[in-house]
Amino acid sequence: MRIARRGNKMLRESPAILLTDLAFNLLIFFVVCASTEPETGRKQKVPSSSKEQAEKPQGEQNLEVSLTRTGAAINGENVALADFTPKMRQLLAGKTKPEQRMVVVKTTKDTPYHHWIRVTGMVEQAGGVIAVLVEESKTVVTP
Amino acid sequence: MKIRRRHLEAGVPAVAMADIAFNLVLFFIILARTQDDSNLRWKPAGAPKVEAIEQSRIVVTVDEDSKVYLNGVPKGIGELTGNIEKLLKEEPTGKKIVLLKIHKDTLAATFEPIIEAVSQAGGDLVHVLTEERE
Repeated sequence: MRIARRGNKMLRESPAILLTDLAFNLLIFFVVCASTEPETGRKQKVPSSSKEQAEKPQGEQNLEVSLTRTGAAINGENVALADFTPKMRQLLAGKTKPEQRMVVVKTTKDTPYHHWIRVTGMVEQAGGVIAVLVEESKTVVTP
Repeated sequence: MKIRRRHLEAGVPAVAMADIAFNLVLFFIILARTQDDSNLRWKPAGAPKVEAIEQSRIVVTVDEDSKVYLNGVPKGIGELTGNIEKLLKEEPTGKKIVLLKIHKDTLAATFEPIIEAVSQAGGDLVHVLTEERE
């Protein structure tokens, strides 16, 4: 009796079991890439107050912005926040050099950060360059 | 005549193991964070115009209790300049970015010395803010 050899007819097909892993990997990649939300914010170039003093040409008087807890003043004159940017633009008009557009920002100790951000944003919007005035404390020993 | 049955071996497809291992590695890489500051509680201040900012390895955080952290580690304000200088040395020129994540109600007595410290250390300040829609 002849037994027909079935032969080695192996069905050659790509291992479909790997496709699920491949699909899963691709899904993970897209989920990870989509989920990282970039943070938002604002760059600020703040020259060091000591350096700024050295570079300031003699006779130049920079604008001074004083911040309190809720208000703001330009060169000692109280200004409403709604009028701040136009007033600042007016004062900075015609000043082309960066050292001329320097605006010294003084704050009281109880000025909150969000108020500082708001006002300094308006100064930058008007074309000013922020210089932060920080009070230094020194311990002096008296004899 | 005896016809012998083929003895089929049922084996685990070892080919898929590589993918499983790769997936596990991927999960741990994503979950592991070198700088975990998710425990710090702070709310960013709002600003009308904000832009997308680059990530940085140097982050100064001030939480709602006005505690200062550098890369998630509590630091005194006096220690900031020196520590930031050390970290900035490792950064390439032009990319010396220091992110400031300051809670919106922090007072000037806390954040101003921080800004000065970063400026003295030679870093480029970037305030992390949210967009304030009027």
